[in-house]
Amino acid sequence: MTSADDDTLVLPVVPPAALEEAPAEPEWRPAAHDEDDFHPGPVGRVARRVCWVLLAWSVVLVPANLLSPLSLDQTTVTHLTEAVIFAIIGLSLNVLIGYAGQISLGHQAFVGIGAFTTAYLVTEQQLDFFFALLVAAVFGGLQAAILGAVSLRVTGLYFALVTLAYGAFAEQTVFGIESLTRGEAGMTLTRPSFFASEERYYLLCLGFLVLVVWLDWRLTRSTAGRALAALRENPRVASSYGINVKAYMMVAFVVAGVFAGLGGGLFAARQSVIVPTSFGFTLGLTFVLMTVVGGLRNRTGVIIGAAFFALLGSGELVHWLHLDGFFAETIGLPVQFVPLVVGPILLLLTITLHPGGIGQQVAPIQGWLAGRRLDRHAGKVREVEVSDVRA
Amino acid sequence: MSTLGQELITAAVIGVLQGSIYAMVALGIVLVYRATGVFNFAQAEFGTTALFGAYTAHVVWGWGYAVSFGFGLVVGVVMGLLTEALVIHPLRKASRVTLLVGTAGVALTAIGLQFWKYNETLIMVMPRISDGFHQTKYGSPTDQQLITVAVLVAVTIALALFFRSPWGLAIQAAQQEPVAAELVGINVRSVSLLIWGIAALLGGLAGILAGPNTTFSAAFLSFGAGGALLPGFMAAVLAGMRSMSGAVAGGLVVGFVEQLGNLTLLVDVNGARAMMLFVFLLLVLLFKPSGLFVPRAVTA
Repeated sequence: MTSADDDTLVLPVVPPAALEEAPAEPEWRPAAHDEDDFHPGPVGRVARRVCWVLLAWSVVLVPANLLSPLSLDQTTVTHLTEAVIFAIIGLSLNVLIGYAGQISLGHQAFVGIGAFTTAYLVTEQQLDFFFALLVAAVFGGLQAAILGAVSLRVTGLYFALVTLAYGAFAEQTVFGIESLTRGEAGMTLTRPSFFASEERYYLLCLGFLVLVVWLDWRLTRSTAGRALAALRENPRVASSYGINVKAYMMVAFVVAGVFAGLGGGLFAARQSVIVPTSFGFTLGLTFVLMTVVGGLRNRTGVIIGAAFFALLGSGELVHWLHLDGFFAETIGLPVQFVPLVVGPILLLLTITLHPGGIGQQVAPIQGWLAGRRLDRHAGKVREVEVSDVRA
Repeated sequence: MSTLGQELITAAVIGVLQGSIYAMVALGIVLVYRATGVFNFAQAEFGTTALFGAYTAHVVWGWGYAVSFGFGLVVGVVMGLLTEALVIHPLRKASRVTLLVGTAGVALTAIGLQFWKYNETLIMVMPRISDGFHQTKYGSPTDQQLITVAVLVAVTIALALFFRSPWGLAIQAAQQEPVAAELVGINVRSVSLLIWGIAALLGGLAGILAGPNTTFSAAFLSFGAGGALLPGFMAAVLAGMRSMSGAVAGGLVVGFVEQLGNLTLLVDVNGARAMMLFVFLLLVLLFKPSGLFVPRAVTA
């Protein structure tokens, strides 16, 4: 589907003369079968397998300190857990911005609702952690549905404004209800004893990320996903094809809300204490940054982008790359401000020069790992930029 | 008079004083939206940056107040022009949501730089133009706030006159029919720069005038102590994103609505002012999305 600049459908009008004197069609050639026919040779297959194993090892086992020579300390593992949770939140925002074409500047509120619901149920009501997570996901979906109902009337840029106001309202008013959130004193949450260790909690979050990725994949492959793609490009054309615009929009909102609620619940159990100001506007903007820089509608890109910003924010990345000295002394930028300065610049570079984001950059490697040739031009921008039509 | 009545009048007085800042931000937002169709999330940040400029000149370098004020405005305008040249112009073919993300990126970059450069200074205070205040039954407006209202009035009149001048007409032509305007010899590109310059000037005025009301830090005018970004946008929505006079009226109304959150009635509600703004925005967008203060001529 090409970009639809306006809503009018222009039917091609071909003058009859042109039809008669049409130049001979270029000879039909079989489509390049490279992709279908290419099978990696024995060396290639082994190389790919080794890479897969290394990847799995570094994502699953190293952070959990299993079969790993590194023995990471607890703080580092916590930061890695945060990266996984950010990835879940990034995928949630990707459903809204990427699939539904609705920009949300209040996603910190979606996440906060999940976090406070979980904390309240576990701490005040002594309920099971996983039950609380479930309720958090449901609540997340519910509030997203309410906001989605608003978005059916108020689209595009105006909706961005509503979410902006909603974020401030949630942070200051809803999370300020002290009987539920204990206000500035904050809430702590004890994890179930089996997941008390940071390593096991990391694996738990990773499991949830896999679940979310799977659900997201199913969503894009389903009728709903295709309908959403059509909607985003041109709602009028889509509805004239009989697509129920409102229903599918709500599906996108509810899915995004459920993911965000779940992410919020996991976020609450990772933080030692959550206070209303944990869910300020800057967090919401970080979510938008990481999703857009990661590459909209590109799961791998969003996950890498989210992890990148989470690790940048906790200072872990700068530390690993031994850039502490560079930032702190050479250019005089304290490490805690690195994400604040570097993040927005990356965002501006992404949207002006490289709209496909990280997802586009890793596409060749991704294709190679999936058993195709290493094609450095893989992942051309396929409508990766933020859609216009609902604006 | 009943307590509630007195509180309402107080809310109106303080609302107008505070709202004149919002109105100035809203004027900039409407101006840019009319010209380029961009929701400019960096508008309030032009103000904070200008305030940082004026503060640095006056407090750190010890320049005179008037010169520092002018310097701050220049800093704000330079930021506006850079935004146009580096982000808006390269993205002119991109979608409007991309542009929105772009302006948010500009705002965040500015905030990041402010945090970075002024990290060591814990409390920053910009001195007032005049320290006097007037004790009345309905709140006590400071000279600074009264000056702000006066500046708003002056700016509104100046803009109205400007848009009737040949330059102003050229701008309107370039906004409505860029191609036709180009054909009759209007340089659309410099019009765009001019618009962003004026918008940044308005933002700068709002920032430097609002700064002395309280202590300030990075992101002051966007969502810090002086948070005028959201109210400014609301005022612009009330103006249907088009009307200049509507933006001024909208700013004052939003200021009043926000002050309603300070009524004794709502003393038990945390964040009542944020709630008032959110509910108000929802009501306006759901029931009168075309705006409240829109002269008939510009709705078409």
